[in-house]
Amino acid sequence: MIKLENVTKSYSTEVTALRDASFDVAKAEFVFLVGPSGSGKSTLLRLMNRQEKPEKGAVWVAGRNINDMPDTKVPHLRRNIGNIFQDYKLLSNKTVFENVAFALEVIGRPKHVIRQQVPAVLDLVGLAGKQERFPHQLSGGEQQRVSIARAFVNRPLILLADEPTGNLDPTTGEGIMRLLDRINKTGTTVVMATHDQRIVNMMRKRVIQLDRGIIVRDQARGVYE
Amino acid sequence: MFSRLSYTFREMWASLRRNLTLTVAAVITSSVSLLLFGLTLLIQRGFDNQLSQWSGGVELIVYIENDASPEQIELVRGALEKTPDVIDTSKLEYLDIAQSLVEAQRLFAGDPETLQLLTEKNIPTQFKVVPTPDATPELLTQLALGFDELPKVIQVAFPSDQIEVLATLRGFIGLRLYLITGFLLLSAVLLIWNTIRTAMFARRREIEVMKLVGATNWFIRLPFMLEGLLQGLVGGVVASGAMLLFNANWTSGVKKFPSESGFGAFVVTGSYPMWIVFWIVVLGMLVGAIGSGTAASRFLDV
Ligand SMILES: Nc1ncnc2c1ncn2[C@@H]1O[C@H](COP(=O)(O)OP(=O)(O)O)[C@@H](O)[C@H]1O
Ligand SMILES: [Mg+2]
Repeated sequence: MIKLENVTKSYSTEVTALRDASFDVAKAEFVFLVGPSGSGKSTLLRLMNRQEKPEKGAVWVAGRNINDMPDTKVPHLRRNIGNIFQDYKLLSNKTVFENVAFALEVIGRPKHVIRQQVPAVLDLVGLAGKQERFPHQLSGGEQQRVSIARAFVNRPLILLADEPTGNLDPTTGEGIMRLLDRINKTGTTVVMATHDQRIVNMMRKRVIQLDRGIIVRDQARGVYE
Repeated sequence: MFSRLSYTFREMWASLRRNLTLTVAAVITSSVSLLLFGLTLLIQRGFDNQLSQWSGGVELIVYIENDASPEQIELVRGALEKTPDVIDTSKLEYLDIAQSLVEAQRLFAGDPETLQLLTEKNIPTQFKVVPTPDATPELLTQLALGFDELPKVIQVAFPSDQIEVLATLRGFIGLRLYLITGFLLLSAVLLIWNTIRTAMFARRREIEVMKLVGATNWFIRLPFMLEGLLQGLVGGVVASGAMLLFNANWTSGVKKFPSESGFGAFVVTGSYPMWIVFWIVVLGMLVGAIGSGTAASRFLDV
């Protein structure tokens, strides 16, 4: 589903955020990206949806080299990739329903599809009764569930999560983790950057460890260390 | 399709309202600049009408009575062609009754009563005379005295001093008004550009989300571009209304001038004002499209 070949990415001559990274992620796999802050986890995620382009190497997504892709095709790539962030990136002037509907609306999905799919996905993430609330009326965990609903409502092939539990207390974080696990079990490939040791050790999934932009470990059923 | 359209218009409208102060400033600036553009065209046209009799280097007009026979007209032509060193015979032009009537319509546009008196039974026909480059005014005047004597010649007319002044004024005003108009239009473009930039900045979080979920750049840009286009369009409509009002007031004012004021033809009537409206509106939309288009492309990478 995702394949990196000798990918190097630097932001300036001094900072090499990622050096010669290569790995493969199969369909429906779950992968943790771990490493200290500044080790290149976010950069790696941004390379997978063409928010960044590498200097060297190739990034393949669903069988296509996305760096050769013309800019006009990038939106269609992104419709197959859901994104989740530490800070949720919800729109504060929109309700829960509107935040999720927005993702469908701006890619031109018709109203009847929106009316049907948004409640379904809100149900899936456990927010059935909270459609009309605004983000500030929700707890952090609930806000992250809205953002997961928004990322998943279009049934993407891939979910990229950048420290989704970073702002949450351990129990709430665990709940989010279980939700992502459930989504992964529906066949969605999940790549999740985190430095939450407890969660990584609890899940025992594949772990790719970064250190100053270099992949130092790629282990099936790994722990954080 | 429908949901896209409703999205685009809803967002455009919301953004216009959020940015009311800047929007109003942009609309006012584009109206004023477009109005000036329209007035410049009007003034130029007024000059042209007033000067039309004398356009093309004509410095002498020989008026001939309406009932002159072809032989009598040829006699005058022969006399005019006898002095090729003073008169440029290749540019000698005779306006018959029909042509003279057409010219009178421009000349007396601001003086309908006089125009009404002129018919094909009584309007004088005319020879328009262009002198050679080395003909001195004295030579020309001397020559003109001779033509007065020919049968059926009513009058030999020279351009008045006023005409000379108007011709100079036209040249002076034209270029400068276009320059000022150009600068004002540029500031309208910049204001619209700034309005759109501000609107996009205010919505940068939404734009970021839209890009992440795979909205196309055109989809994101369209409401902003329409917003700018609408500002230019409204500016054009306001300017058109003001221009037509100006023109109507001026035209009715000119009618009250004494007939020898020399401004009788300094009016613009007929379909020309509607042409100006057309160009004002087109230019307004162009201003809006350029301002918002460049802003929307430039600031999409938020
Ligand atoms: N937009 C950027 N411009 C310049 N440097 C950046 C940018 N984003 C990240 N970096 C640098 O790249 C390195 C990796 O950053 P990042 O991928 O965000 O790491 P992580 O997500 O693991 O904390 C860091 O040294 C960071 O300072
Ligand atoms: Mg990061």
